[in-house]
Amino acid sequence: MKKIMVYALSTCPFCRMTKNYFRSRNIPFDSVDVDLLSDEEREKTVEEVQKISGRRAFPVIVIDEEVIVGYDEVSIQEALEK
Amino acid sequence: MKQTEKILCPVCQVQFVFREEKQIGKKIVCPVCGAVLVLSKENDNWQADRPKDMTPEAEIRERIENFARFRGYKFNQMKEPLVEGLLKKYSRFGDFYCPCKIDNIPENVCPCLETRQGSVEKNGRCHCGLFWK
Repeated sequence: MKKIMVYALSTCPFCRMTKNYFRSRNIPFDSVDVDLLSDEEREKTVEEVQKISGRRAFPVIVIDEEVIVGYDEVSIQEALEK
Repeated sequence: MKQTEKILCPVCQVQFVFREEKQIGKKIVCPVCGAVLVLSKENDNWQADRPKDMTPEAEIRERIENFARFRGYKFNQMKEPLVEGLLKKYSRFGDFYCPCKIDNIPENVCPCLETRQGSVEKNGRCHCGLFWK
């Protein structure tokens, strides 16, 4: 099974859609609403997101080694099928 | 000369030329970001401020409508959830910061700097998916 992580913001509709994509297909995933973390945790996580995606924008989806920036169903599906 | 002096938009921080007749209290629209502004005068200089008589929701809705009209951009079904996200940012952080970006800084005030600089032309949409080509 692929390891899936969704970095999200609680204010971002595409982040919600990303989580719903996995939920509606019964695909297990981990997720974090970065803006709701404590200051210290948030900074650490944003740095992590910036390192893997090159941006400070959301959602960022990591499927095994693959990083997808933004809600892109085609890329998600391709990464899941790899 | 005075009639064409530049006015600084307090939202996008760009100075624009306003050629129409100026009156204290007159509502104008920033031609760069679409923000609704109110003219005032301080020390003989014209300035524009954010309106105090509009609800946050009315202010952001009018701003994004104006910006989309200026640029010829469209909205889709993502508009309402994004307006909701912008209002959440406003109530938490005091301004309409991009709902999809972590940094609540002036360049991320909607329409954000990258959107004003043409990211919709390049990508077909702004990062959030509020403005579409």
